[in-house]
Amino acid sequence: MKNAPVELACIIDDDSIYVNLVKRIINTRKLCKNLLIFNDGKESIDYFEALLQNLTANKIPDIIFLDLNMPIMDGWEFLELFTKIKPRFNKVITLYVVSSSINPVDVDRAKSLSSVTDYLIKPVNINDFESIFRNSA
Amino acid sequence: MIKNELFQNVIDDLDIGYWELKDNTSYWSSAFISSLEYSQNEIATKLDYFLEQLIHKDHRALFRDNFYSLVENNVDFKQTIQIRKKNGDFKEYTCKTNSKLPVNVHEHSKVIFFFESKIKTSTKVKDDNFYYRESAEMTSTGSWYVDFIEQKSYWDKETRRIMEYPEDYIPSLKNSSNYYAEEHHQRAADAFFKCAMAGTPFNTEIKMVTANKRIFWAKAIGKPVYNDDKDIIGIRGVFQDIDEEKLKTLHLQKTSEIIASQNSRLFNFAHIVSHNLRSHTSNLSLIVQLIDDLQSVDEKLELIDSIKDISESLNTTIEHLNDVVTIQTKTDQNKIDVSFKETLQIVSKSIKHIIMEGHVVIESDFSEAQSIQYIPAYMESILLNLITNAIKYKHEERNAIIKLKTYIENDKTILEVTDNGRGIDMERFGKKLFGMYKTFHYNEDAVGIGLFITKNQVESLNGEIFVESEVEKGTTFKIQF
Repeated sequence: MKNAPVELACIIDDDSIYVNLVKRIINTRKLCKNLLIFNDGKESIDYFEALLQNLTANKIPDIIFLDLNMPIMDGWEFLELFTKIKPRFNKVITLYVVSSSINPVDVDRAKSLSSVTDYLIKPVNINDFESIFRNSA
Repeated sequence: MIKNELFQNVIDDLDIGYWELKDNTSYWSSAFISSLEYSQNEIATKLDYFLEQLIHKDHRALFRDNFYSLVENNVDFKQTIQIRKKNGDFKEYTCKTNSKLPVNVHEHSKVIFFFESKIKTSTKVKDDNFYYRESAEMTSTGSWYVDFIEQKSYWDKETRRIMEYPEDYIPSLKNSSNYYAEEHHQRAADAFFKCAMAGTPFNTEIKMVTANKRIFWAKAIGKPVYNDDKDIIGIRGVFQDIDEEKLKTLHLQKTSEIIASQNSRLFNFAHIVSHNLRSHTSNLSLIVQLIDDLQSVDEKLELIDSIKDISESLNTTIEHLNDVVTIQTKTDQNKIDVSFKETLQIVSKSIKHIIMEGHVVIESDFSEAQSIQYIPAYMESILLNLITNAIKYKHEERNAIIKLKTYIENDKTILEVTDNGRGIDMERFGKKLFGMYKTFHYNEDAVGIGLFITKNQVESLNGEIFVESEVEKGTTFKIQF
């Protein structure tokens, strides 16, 4: 995949149908070179913590899409832990919360966090999704 | 002095200052100490200390004499004294010994009461306008008077009518507790005691008992009556039959509680509907976008599998939601006597193979509460959910042992289900434990619906569910029916 706007993207979401659809969009539109997928916050935070032991630039995602409602460790818990370790990566990491929750309490809470770039409500629009990748390049 | 069993226990609960002397012990009530703004450990509750540190020097000699006459010769006294508060100011009290007072409290000890002096206006009993017969009848309000000097109690015609006693009935002062419902004896005693001792008027709602043993709600209002020396010589007041109004209010309160709980469940349900259905519809709409976006027919066709998946998930979600709705509508079903033992047998039978395969041990002790009035299907579902949960989340290194026990606590039946499983990190998951589609373990068959349904079933029948758990040790669910 040449010319992909993003090197490494990361999806943290337990909804396998959604993940497969997004994967398909990313592949057809060639939005990133590599894609990391985690089923919940715990899996991904384990990844990030292991990465800190052995920092490899091309293993740090440029962009993260985070679901809120997940088993084991939900998006909020992930955000709390991730915000603490984020500065140690020395890299700009854009993070979008992507949730089907339209509850304004969730939206406001997510947007108030400094590590969250924006809040996307599912379903995402394919073209908007693409421009997020292109703009963060 | 009036001896009345109504007052036997009242003194310990009262916020009245007193000094009790019994078998060489000297005790000061906490109300007395705190009215002087001291704390318990700052003072010595002894006579020497009282005389040297607390009482005003002008009153010291007389109080000492009075105190010794009381202790040695049982001579009662009444004296107005000033006592030094923590901040150095003096506060005036009237002290009286117990047998000087209109009611008897502690028969076997000597008690000096300390009443904060208040300026009281004298209220005289005016016989001429005491019986407002017309208004009394129309409002079901009866008047009464308790005379401490004559040791008698008087009721007007309307009080006798409300209390269903004959017109020539003479009320008993000694057995006045009979006029109040058992559960309100303390309330009546408190009100009369404070009024008789400290002159505190009362206006309270209380359950009374008529001659025919009918219990009804009454408004009881009472005020102290003083003589010219400002001593309390009696209490007068009214009883009003407010049974109808009170029952209406209680009924209304109950209805409003039921509506509030239904409303909160509905609100919860609306949230679940929007949240859980939204995740599927948003996937559907994403697929539609993709189908539009893709060029080749083959690629478009590949998406059909995803549509099948969504359709399945949507169906499952709707089935779950249906389960939830059924709970809300089933609560008016007839409750019958449900035996814990029999229900456990039914449940164990239905999951016999899981129990056998997993070598699960189920122990039960229902001896303290064998059955309750409940919806049988709910009891089955509750036991099934808790037991299958305990099996599902058993500790990898040991066989599941599940203990069920019932007992009575505060008049309510309690069921406890304890397992030796892997436990739940309550700090992290406690709040979400009973949420829909919340799972906390990497278990393939974790759906996150069971405890949500259990909680809803328990709450729809006005019960409560609690949980205690320790990781690696096990979990206890406690249901209060």
